[in-house]
Amino acid sequence: MSLDINIALDDFSGTDPIWVIAEEVFTAMVDGEPGFLRPWEGDQAELTDPMYAWVDVHGALPGRVLLTAERETVEHLSRALLAMGEDEVLSETDMADALGEVANVVGGNVKALVPDPGALTLPQVAHERPEIDAEGLMYELPLDWRGRMVVIGLWRLL
Amino acid sequence: MRVLVADDSRVMRQIVIRTLRQAGYDWWEITEAPDGAAALELAINMDPDLVLSDWNMPEMTGIELLRTMRAQGMDIPFGFVTSEGSTEMREQADAAGALFLIAKPFSAEVFRDTIDPFLA
Repeated sequence: MSLDINIALDDFSGTDPIWVIAEEVFTAMVDGEPGFLRPWEGDQAELTDPMYAWVDVHGALPGRVLLTAERETVEHLSRALLAMGEDEVLSETDMADALGEVANVVGGNVKALVPDPGALTLPQVAHERPEIDAEGLMYELPLDWRGRMVVIGLWRLL
Repeated sequence: MRVLVADDSRVMRQIVIRTLRQAGYDWWEITEAPDGAAALELAINMDPDLVLSDWNMPEMTGIELLRTMRAQGMDIPFGFVTSEGSTEMREQADAAGALFLIAKPFSAEVFRDTIDPFLA
């Protein structure tokens, strides 16, 4: 799938800028060190009990950055973000907050790649996929975080 | 040193506080605010030595918080920690009187390099 939004790919020496952003976010915020995130290899697996988090960018090129992951993955992600042990109680609110904040930071950095962006919305989180026109998918990057799939999608809001 | 950390995400507040400690500011006494309006009230009541604020928050945004504080005569040192770091936002922050803008994701080194010069 081509990256058909106006992103200055040359600035990244041919590297996928969305991958660069994702790697920075997971290294700094989630893991504290690099090496635990890599592109997903092979077919995308069907996700069980998925959760969705997204932020929208308004303006001349309205778009959405959508993160998708299994609930179990979000639980591990939340524990990593909050530096919580396996025996500590994790609330649904914290899980939604954690996934939403990852979407928010990825979205803020994606927005920086787009010329003349508008305002960024606050993150939204749901267990149902948000209503979005399938024609609007511009780019999708499935990632492997510690053996678990996390998908970043860039959507044009039609 | 009393520091007010404003962010609508509890997760992000925890990450900011953890990173501050990793950066060596483990002696800071930190108070948390879940949005700009709550931060303004806390700033008035506790008169902190530094405010670290997100930009995009419900009730009152970070830039509205800073402008309101300055309009009310509060000259408490103020820095942004936000998911966006565009030139336009940095200019707005600077014009409103912010000392710095740290873009997420951040590291303890970035915190140290950015904040240390203002602690002298």
